[in-house]
Formats: sequence, structure tokens, C-alpha cells
Amino acid sequence: MLSLENMSVGYDATNVLHGVSITAQPGELTVILGANGSGKTTLFKTISGLLRTRSGTIEYNGQTIQRTRPNTIVKRGIAHCPEGRHLFGKMSVEKNLRLGTYPHRDRTRTEEILSEVLELFPILKEKSAQPAGSLSGGQQQMVAIGRALMSDPSLLILDEPSMGLAPLVVEQVLESIAQINRNGIGVLLSEQNAKASLAIAHRGYVLAEGRVVLADDAEKLLDNPQVQAAYLGL
Amino acid sequence: MTLFIQQLFNGVALGGVYCLAAIGLTLVFGVLRIPNLAHGSLYMLGAYVTYFFLTTVGVPYVAAIGIAALVLFVLGVLLERLVFHPLRNSPHTHHMIAAIGAMFFFQAVAQAIWGADFRRMETPLSGSLHILGAEISAQRIVIIVTAIVVLSLLTWFIKRSIHGQTIEAIEQDRTGAALVGINPAMVSMLTLGLSALLVTIAAGLVSPINLLSPTMGDSLNLKVFAIIILGGLGSLPGAIVGSFALAIAETMTSTYISSAVGEAVAFVVLVGVLAIKPTGLFAKAVQR
Repeated sequence: MLSLENMSVGYDATNVLHGVSITAQPGELTVILGANGSGKTTLFKTISGLLRTRSGTIEYNGQTIQRTRPNTIVKRGIAHCPEGRHLFGKMSVEKNLRLGTYPHRDRTRTEEILSEVLELFPILKEKSAQPAGSLSGGQQQMVAIGRALMSDPSLLILDEPSMGLAPLVVEQVLESIAQINRNGIGVLLSEQNAKASLAIAHRGYVLAEGRVVLADDAEKLLDNPQVQAAYLGL
Repeated sequence: MTLFIQQLFNGVALGGVYCLAAIGLTLVFGVLRIPNLAHGSLYMLGAYVTYFFLTTVGVPYVAAIGIAALVLFVLGVLLERLVFHPLRNSPHTHHMIAAIGAMFFFQAVAQAIWGADFRRMETPLSGSLHILGAEISAQRIVIIVTAIVVLSLLTWFIKRSIHGQTIEAIEQDRTGAALVGINPAMVSMLTLGLSALLVTIAAGLVSPINLLSPTMGDSLNLKVFAIIILGGLGSLPGAIVGSFALAIAETMTSTYISSAVGEAVAFVVLVGVLAIKPTGLFAKAVQR
């Protein structure tokens, strides 16, 4: 279980997150909704150790991790698929995926997960020898998710995986995420697309200006008039 | 024609030496994003440490180079940890000042131990080979063969082994690398160690031809910087092509025009590249 307790994070003089508390249950799909600038990316970067908290705690499976380095956090089982993907653009798709196994480097496990990833995203099989940077946006997103999965995580955190993708591709990517979750991996997902993401989620949080303004089961959030007004255009 | 072939071999041998020196520098630039101005002094120390093991301790030539390379690897790691790592978040000028400081320090240490006079490393390999009428010394053949072997091993390491791939991963995307569990601090130490190891092999190979002195690294330093700028900062193929191109140009102008012009070739090329194509032949680092 991941639990953030009263966490504040900022850059220079200003705080971006103000006392955020969020819990992600193991094996569940938790979605963080919020507009641009609401602090979603900052939140995820802090969980994976790229940014430091100013106050509050982050616990994962009973261990505090807010002072842990990113490379150790991956070993603890949290894989971060970041906004902007951050692939190794000149390396082949296969090398990108295989570098994802760096935290464990277990040969048999590597081949197992690799075949699972290629089953999830069959298109990557055809593209495996191509440089990751030459792929389309949607395919790059698949490589990024795949690379994160290769570390054999218990929690996958995905920062706006649908950003900049065509609607049809968005649907495909979200379906894959639901599949990953059905395979037993916990997912923490940030999205602007409330309807589609709440449809596959167990729980949801709404973030606005660095604060959690709503937290509820996904179905209840879908019916919530505030969410409907702000995100669903109803 | 014989003279030409002779000089071509000399140029290729010199290219091998430049290559071993330049690759480390370009890797360090790719990973740490700093020009390591102390690179030439690592070359100088590599030569002296080889000299020490060969002459003072009395181990065989190849073993002396091997031991010196390992010693310098450790020194490179320490240089990263003690000098560059603490400065990782400061402005780039700080790295350059620190590197120049390290350079003077290494020169002073070499001078304190071995004195300021030139020293000669005896050629353990005598004899020569006759190829197409040209006489090629055994030492130069050893240089060419070693350079090929070391470069092949290095390429295998960087492209195929997972630890080597972390170097390229960091070069291509630092955040991405951290998120797949790579520790940038470890890779920085590995890279600087590797660059010191490679430049020591270059120094050990070329020392029986040249003389040793505490300032022997200065002209090499300038030349390898010219090479990696010519090849494109951070580019491995660029460093290889640049090394051989520059070495052959240098040998040929020394032979057919004058040795003074030969020494200047590197800088004529450098000025030309900066004026016409400042990103180098194999631009890589410019996307950032």
C-alpha cells in the first residue's frame, strides 16, 4: 500500500502541493484527476524520488521512502512512467525495454515479462529493432509503459499516458492499463480524461491547485455533480 | 611512395593513441556534461605509473600498462567522487576551474616524485616489420593492434553489456535513466574511471616513442579536445573518425611540409570546424 500523509512539495519559494494525503491500495487502480498545473506531475515525481518533500511522509508497504533515491524506489517496486515518456530515443525499442529490467536483472523473469509486454502491445514486436525515438506518440507511450513494467513493479504510476494522443489511441492505451491492473499490478494514474479513466478505476482523487478537493470511489465520483460540472461537461 | 606508406602507418598508430585518449574524454562529456580539462594530466600520470612499474618495480611491459590502467581507473573514480561529484549542482565554470586545479595538482605530484627532467621509457619491443617496402617498428604495430582490440572490447561493453548500456542511457535521458533504476552517481564514477583507464593504455603505448615529462599531457589535451569537437561532443564514432583523420593529417603535413605545421594542423582543423560546422561531424550533444 502506498500512502502519502499530509505531503507538501515545492520549487524555490512556492509550494505546489499543500498537505496532500492520498492512499493507493495494493492491486487497485487509483486515478488522480486534475487540470493542468494542479500538481499531478509534481506529486508523481515526489513519489518516485525525483523531487523531495518539504513536509509530510510517503510510505510504501510500511517503509518510509520520502528520503530514498529514485533508483532504490524502483527496486522497492514502484515504477514511474513519466510525463514526456523519457525514453532512450536512439536505442532500439528492445534495448529500452531490457534496460527496464535493470533493478532486478533476473534473466528468466526478464523473458517472462518481455513476452507479457509484447502480448499487451503486439505492435512493439514489429518495431523492436527500431530506435524508440522514431515511433509514433502512441507507440512511444507503449514502450514507456512497457519499460516501467519490465522492472517487475507492484505499483505502476502513470503520468498522463494519454496526453497528446489521438482519441482512438487513448482508448487503446487505457484498455491496456486496465488489463495491466487486472493482471494484479496496482496502478496510480493521473488523467484529465475523467470519464474514461474513472470507468476503469477503483478509487479517484481530484486535485486542484495542489490540494485534494475530492476523494471517493470511482463510481461515486462519476456521479458527483462537482466532477460532472468540472470534468465531464454535464 | 615508400615514404607515404611509412607515414600512413605512423599516422594510423598515432590515430590509435589519440582514439584511446579521445574516447574517454567524449564519454565523460556525454555523461557528466563537463569538459574534463584534467584529461591530459591523467594521460601524463598514466605514463609515469607505467614507467614506475616497468622500470622501478620491473614487471613486464604489458603487465605494467595493465596495472597502471587499473591504478588510474581508481584515480579516475576518486577524481569524480572527490572533485566533480560535490560540484554536480554548481555552474559549469566551477567544474572547469576544479579540473584545471586537478591538472596542476597532478603535474606537481609527478614533478615531486619523478622530477621535471625528461625521462625515457626503454622500448621493450625491438625490431620492425617490412610492409610494402616501408619499415614499421614493432612498437607501432603493437599500438595499432592494441587500439583495435581495446576499441572492440569497449564497443561491446557499451552496446551489449547492461552496465555499459547505462552510460548511453544516461547520455540520452538522465531522468529516464534514474527511473529505470540507474544510479547516475555510480555511472559517473564508472565513466571517469574508464576514461582514465583508456588514456593510460594510450600513454603506456606511446611512451616508448615519446619522452616523459610532467607537462607531456598538455599538447595531447589540446589535441583530443580538437578531436572531439571535430567529431561532435559526446559522439563515439565522431571521436574515432576524428582521431584517425587528425593523426594522419598531422603526420602527413609533418612529413611533406614541416613538423611545425604538423603540430598546428589540429588547431587549424579546430578553428575551421568551429567556424563552419560548430556541432562537429557527428553532432550528438546539440539536441539538448
